[in-house]
Amino acid sequence: MSRAGQFRRRAVPALAALTVGALALAACSGGGDGDGDGGGGGGDGTLQILALKHPLTGAMADMAWVGQIEEAAGVTIEWEEVSADWDQKKPTMLAAGDIPDLIVGTNAITNGDLATFNGLFEDLSDDLESLPNVTGMFEAVPATESMATQPEGEIFSLPSYRRFWPETGTRQFINQQWLDNLGLEQPTTWDELHEVLLAFKTQDANGNGDPNDEIPMDWAPVGETGFGLFQPTVLLGSMGMPISDGGGAGYFVEDGEVKNFLIDERYRDLIAFLHELYADGLISQDVMTQDYSAYQSVARGEGDTARVGFTWGWAGSDRVGAQLVGQYSALPPLRADESMSEADLTWSYDSYMLNYGVNSITMSAQSDNKEAALAVINAFYDQDISLEVLWGDFDENITKVDDTSYEVLPPTDETVDPSTWKWTTTLADNGPGWIRDDIDVVLPSDLAEAVEQSQPLEAAIANVDPDADIFPGQLIKMSQEDLNTISINNTAVFTIAMQRWATWITEGGVESGWDGYVAEVGGSGLAQNIEIHQSYYDEFSSSQG
Amino acid sequence: MTAASPAQSRPRQRGAAALVRHARRYWQLWVMAAPAIAFVAVFAYVPMYGLQLAFREFDFSAGLTGGEFVGLKYFQQFFDSPQFWTLIRNTVVISLTTLVAGFVAPIALALIVNQVVGRTRKKFLQTATYLPHFISIVVIVGMLQVFLSPSSGLITRVAEFFGVTGVNFLGSSTFVSVYVISEVWQHCGWNSIIYLAALASVDTQLYEAARIDGAGRFTIIRHIDVPALVPTMIVLLILNMGNVLNTGFEKIFLMQNPLNLGVSEVIATYVYKIGILSNQFSYGTAIGLFNTLINFTFLVVTNQVAKRVSNTSLW
Repeated sequence: MSRAGQFRRRAVPALAALTVGALALAACSGGGDGDGDGGGGGGDGTLQILALKHPLTGAMADMAWVGQIEEAAGVTIEWEEVSADWDQKKPTMLAAGDIPDLIVGTNAITNGDLATFNGLFEDLSDDLESLPNVTGMFEAVPATESMATQPEGEIFSLPSYRRFWPETGTRQFINQQWLDNLGLEQPTTWDELHEVLLAFKTQDANGNGDPNDEIPMDWAPVGETGFGLFQPTVLLGSMGMPISDGGGAGYFVEDGEVKNFLIDERYRDLIAFLHELYADGLISQDVMTQDYSAYQSVARGEGDTARVGFTWGWAGSDRVGAQLVGQYSALPPLRADESMSEADLTWSYDSYMLNYGVNSITMSAQSDNKEAALAVINAFYDQDISLEVLWGDFDENITKVDDTSYEVLPPTDETVDPSTWKWTTTLADNGPGWIRDDIDVVLPSDLAEAVEQSQPLEAAIANVDPDADIFPGQLIKMSQEDLNTISINNTAVFTIAMQRWATWITEGGVESGWDGYVAEVGGSGLAQNIEIHQSYYDEFSSSQG
Repeated sequence: MTAASPAQSRPRQRGAAALVRHARRYWQLWVMAAPAIAFVAVFAYVPMYGLQLAFREFDFSAGLTGGEFVGLKYFQQFFDSPQFWTLIRNTVVISLTTLVAGFVAPIALALIVNQVVGRTRKKFLQTATYLPHFISIVVIVGMLQVFLSPSSGLITRVAEFFGVTGVNFLGSSTFVSVYVISEVWQHCGWNSIIYLAALASVDTQLYEAARIDGAGRFTIIRHIDVPALVPTMIVLLILNMGNVLNTGFEKIFLMQNPLNLGVSEVIATYVYKIGILSNQFSYGTAIGLFNTLINFTFLVVTNQVAKRVSNTSLW
């Protein structure tokens, strides 16, 4: 064998090995480069902004107001657009300390994040002179200042104010056509509701010849960490219990005392009532396990044939679709029984959640283009830009009639409903902004519909005094240690509570299991959480005078 | 790897000289192994420095290594948590059931496939059983939710036909069985490939000799096939024992609903909810470290037992 041959025999595997190694290393470093320059921006007139978007929202570059902001601040904006899995991306991003100049999105950075990642975010309280629009909002809407201000006076993140949203997110609907078909009256109490639902169940309410395809009652999927909109917790108002944000983690205030409805006997009575309904087959069998899209699609029915009799939703056309909305009426709150006076009824008070967006814009402390970042924040709170961020660009989506009056236009694409339209054209509710109280706006039809369908609930909502009856979670800032304790306790409490909620409604047993349950969730940290909430509430109410 | 024991066959040389000789002789092997070594070092060993977070209070401004040292505080917090025993119980029940069922099923499947006569039929059966392995977890869970829906699910309807009514298969009473059965169904075919390979290496003379001696099909399986699989079984069992507290996070997380939360909350999902979603990095690290230590103990114990009992082991 010649030397050359020997060399070749050795060289080939070696070369192969080297190539493989080089490829692997290239792949590694390639992955690293992608997010290596995330922090701080270029400094040469560019600003990096991370925007949390709805999955339907188009590219930021297509929004005309972005150009207006760039012009007002004299910078070029590089957008990082996130529309999925933010909860998973965020912790690693923050822990690495590698954040863009600005982060935009309602509650994208939570109070918990602000407390944990101390030093990562810019304190805006000493920059307020460069933010005249923000100081203007603080003066005009004082609640926004309380939402922004930390216990020590720092301002890390600014809220938005949307003004026109109704005071509740959950509206109650019943299929009026079914009632008329069966010759029934609208129910006003739980017993009457039970009878109406029984009639829906046993008779052919939708008149398609099949008496068994009606779903008398359905509600939105309940998560594992608490309650929310469109869920039967609004029926707690039938017994006069003031709730907010659809129930949330269950906190409310009675006579200055913070309580949690998870261990309140009225909550037990509600579960018992819902179990009666479930046992009679009046509630969708999938109610505990379906996801939100299944819950939405089943109520759309087939053609003109409705499937669901009694339910909750944002607005009729959103809940059951444009084709069926004419069949449904907005139903006033129900009374738990005859002894309950109508004057004592309440309904979920969600104005803090709907009209304000907490922590909607946050600035990095390491930004090397601070002035530009502040100018961008200020521009977001401009009168015109605020409207455009919320509903879309002028001319295309909004007509500016004069300096103080505007009209939101219907979708240019007629196949899309207005509530979906706004999410496709702009950041909508995810954006920061301040809608002035002294301007006139002709609202889009979805919002007008929601406001109109809230009317039957207004008296009940007025019975909730936001200062005395609800725990103002959006206005109170807690320390990191307390937030940690609360979240650990909540995980334990809700694992038990949500499973009992689901089991008791579907299988019954709330009466016999209640006392043991109250002791169990109390011991799992609910008692401690209530104490923590109470101490913050006391401090808050004394500071309010 | 052979590169690890180069000098065994010749008299030992001293230090540097041995190293040079070794490098000259085996450097190609080392180069080929280098990417793997680099990968393991970078992604498995380097991140281990983060473990100290379990003993420190996470303080963002002070960095990963700068937090205040709190000793075993977070472990104590986990052991004292009212969730502790529920989590341990759920995790052990789910993972042990999966481990046992997922260990036996591929062996049985491999033995059956091995008995099928005809090349085409055998290939078809093998392909059909391992294809589900490639379905993504999200799709599997979606399928489960559709098939098991209490109002319209195919399987629920079939069960009703056989007189099983009023069972919500997505609820708590059947959660573990649904999880385990779907898991075994999905991975059984794939996991049986390694056993089929072991069976293929059995000397055909053994079968012929057994048949001449009058052995039936089951006797052949019992006395030839199964003994041929034992070493593979033991190695796989030891490896699986190292994952005894590692349940499939994604699948369980996606299958969770309020009805089954009492039996479906496992250590992995709890760490995600506490550690990642609520920013309690130190607490999450402590629970993760605890989990790893338990797994490591199981791995070592099983390995030692296997070594004693059957002379097969990983090391």
